[in-house]
Amino acid sequence: MNKKIRVLIAKPGLDGHDRGALVIAQALRDAGMEVIYTGLRQSPKQIVRAALQEDVDAIGLSCLSGAHNVLFPEVLRLLKEEKAEDIIVFGGGVIPYHDAVALEEKGIKKIFTPGTSTKAVAAFVEQAVYENLGLKKELLQPPTGVDHIGIAVHSIEQAMTFYGDHLHLKAEATVEVPSEGVRVAFVPVGNTKLELLEPLNEESPVAAFLKKRGEGIHHVAFSTGSLEERLEQLKKEGIPVITDKPKTGAGGYPIAFLHPKASNGVLVELCDPKQKEEGVKS
Amino acid sequence: MKTKESSYYKEWTEKTEQETTKKPERQDGFKTSSNIPLERVYVPENITETYKEEIGLPGEYPYTRGIRRTMYRGRHWTMRQYAGFGSAKETNTRFRYLLDQGQTGLSVAFDLPTQIGYDSDDGMALGEVGKVGVAIDSLEDMEQLLDGIALDKVSTSMTINAPAAVLLAMYMVVAEKQGVPPEKIQGTIQNDILKEYIARGTYIYPPKPSMRLITDIFSYCAEHAPKFNTISISGYHIREAGSNAVQELAFTIANAKAYVEAAIESGLDVDIFAPRLAFFFNGHNHFFEEVAKFRAARRMWAKIMKEEYGAKNEKSWQLRFHTQVAGSTLTAQQPDNNIVRVALQALAAVMGGTQSLHTNAKDEALALPTEDSARIALRTQQIIANETGVADTIDPLGGSYYVEALTDEMEAEAIKYIKEIENRGGAVAAVDQQYMQREIRRTAYETQKKIENEEEIVVGVNKYRLEEEPEPELLEVNESFVNEQHDRLQAIRKKRDSVKVKKALEELKFQAEGNGNLMPYIKEAVREYATIGEICNTLRDVFGEYQG
Repeated sequence: MNKKIRVLIAKPGLDGHDRGALVIAQALRDAGMEVIYTGLRQSPKQIVRAALQEDVDAIGLSCLSGAHNVLFPEVLRLLKEEKAEDIIVFGGGVIPYHDAVALEEKGIKKIFTPGTSTKAVAAFVEQAVYENLGLKKELLQPPTGVDHIGIAVHSIEQAMTFYGDHLHLKAEATVEVPSEGVRVAFVPVGNTKLELLEPLNEESPVAAFLKKRGEGIHHVAFSTGSLEERLEQLKKEGIPVITDKPKTGAGGYPIAFLHPKASNGVLVELCDPKQKEEGVKS
Repeated sequence: MKTKESSYYKEWTEKTEQETTKKPERQDGFKTSSNIPLERVYVPENITETYKEEIGLPGEYPYTRGIRRTMYRGRHWTMRQYAGFGSAKETNTRFRYLLDQGQTGLSVAFDLPTQIGYDSDDGMALGEVGKVGVAIDSLEDMEQLLDGIALDKVSTSMTINAPAAVLLAMYMVVAEKQGVPPEKIQGTIQNDILKEYIARGTYIYPPKPSMRLITDIFSYCAEHAPKFNTISISGYHIREAGSNAVQELAFTIANAKAYVEAAIESGLDVDIFAPRLAFFFNGHNHFFEEVAKFRAARRMWAKIMKEEYGAKNEKSWQLRFHTQVAGSTLTAQQPDNNIVRVALQALAAVMGGTQSLHTNAKDEALALPTEDSARIALRTQQIIANETGVADTIDPLGGSYYVEALTDEMEAEAIKYIKEIENRGGAVAAVDQQYMQREIRRTAYETQKKIENEEEIVVGVNKYRLEEEPEPELLEVNESFVNEQHDRLQAIRKKRDSVKVKKALEELKFQAEGNGNLMPYIKEAVREYATIGEICNTLRDVFGEYQG
């Protein structure tokens, strides 16, 4: 991947607070990108002109004056007019959550709000640009669904009295995964399933979970693609992971766990059910 | 020699008591909750010459312990909350609300088009009208902004720099229409262009004509509005842009020296304008370093004014300052925590002897403050003033080995920077060389890296995060007023006497090409309802624009 990424960091409008813009510019430079900073008080027209002249891959807009709802979409509109929609536009500043969502719907690739690490911004920009150029797999879409919800139980049979007798669900065959110290039963529900987890022995992580928190929801598994690359991307963004490389889960397809401290105390599993037949080639 | 037996102390006590007989303190004696009586100021057992020269008693050169003899025992600091958004009418309502709630001074925030001298319907104003402050296009808006507020009673601080002369002129004309002569108006304009080039970004003209406008205001106000502070030399924005405390102190004083020198060069006597110079600092996180910074600033300024510029008036030696707590330390995560940050930063400002204080609202990292959060911010300083007892004795941290040593260190480190700036030809030249800008940028980046590596803890951001962030309520500025503002502007352009406006602007242009004081001509243009854009564009034609 030796194409050098070129980014224009721009201050649209009249806002003079450029601490954030300058810090991001420096962080992207440190991440190996070529960064051009426009300076203050640029109209959307000037920004788009500069982006075309400098032949950049991405534009980062910073605005702390509250004018983002007008100025950011104007940059998108002018890019379209110039047939340069392929330039990625991201932004940051004092931008309320609902505005951020609306701006992303209009085509701003990402709005970063206060508290975002510079690492996360750099990793995002790099990935977004390479995806755009077709140089990397697409990793920046949300998961396609909830593959399953893991529930820790003392006994699968006992738990099935509720799910089977009262909710009329049927468990698939129970599988043992000795490496994880668990017995597992998948219970399909509509387009997702429950994963009942019963510890095989005292050393099992599920046994530790039961001791600490009792029975209950253990994890949520999202289905995504390109698990290995996605895991690398998350690490670059500064997200702590539990599983360093994807491994084969009870369902026979690759899985990986993220650390719950990154996700508000919820253990998140990423999995790739499409890879069921192949498993993980190791 | 025993301090209390020294003639220095006895004279100070005598003078102070003369003063308190005329103007009594807030209470007839102050006591702790256990009835222990408090002295006005606590002093070392023995006094030395060095102590008198470097620290002194409150109200005495070099003012390390405060510029007044009674400080907050006489009167609390002025509680001055910065406010302004949307239309002049809406802001007027917020001002009246704040005055009702016990606020003692006004502080006006202007929107960016006003701050950069554009009318609300100028193409450059797109999306910015009424966003970070109130939109003022003509005298009519100013009349509405100050409607029902007695300008001989209230003191008003205006955060306005490049077009400060225009807004000050509008304020004077509104006062005159209320029957209040200029010599009675009180307040402050920020008018500090150097820190705009360095850190804040709302400049218009190049440094030279900008400095001329500033000295024009100095000399005009010395004659006509002697109670008005003609500049508020600001470290606040330098700190917000990412500097550390020493850089804030050093760059502010270096800028201040540049203004003094420009005024002297323009032929003004130092003791005519220097008493109206005010300062504006940041109240940041490191509690004791902040206290030391404020104390060092006073001492440095007193020495500079007396020794370097030969000022003779005591008022020229006294560094008076406003403090605002650090907006950049407020977090979007767990915004309630910001109330605590604000309280501690405000306490440091009070321990440092500030003359006025703005406490930030907890939701500043998210949007403009709601009425509730603006009230909590004001209450925070009212609690410090009325409940904690910290205002009952002067400079309570003075004499602490730690605080005195840190005060000395802050001064020594700041002097190193000031020398470097002087070697570069002074603050104006150093700005041109981007010296301060580079220093600040470097420090800001280092701070960010420290936060990301968790060397610096930001509670709720890189440690002690919350599993679920509840969504706070935010203030939404009514957007429909932008069109109303455009309509008002159209109407005023039709209503006014266009021949007189044209004449006033031509006269202003002619004077700008010469060397005369521009204030009277700006005032005439304002009186005829020339808009801020018209006045600033007239000067742009003559002065050109600064390219950042």
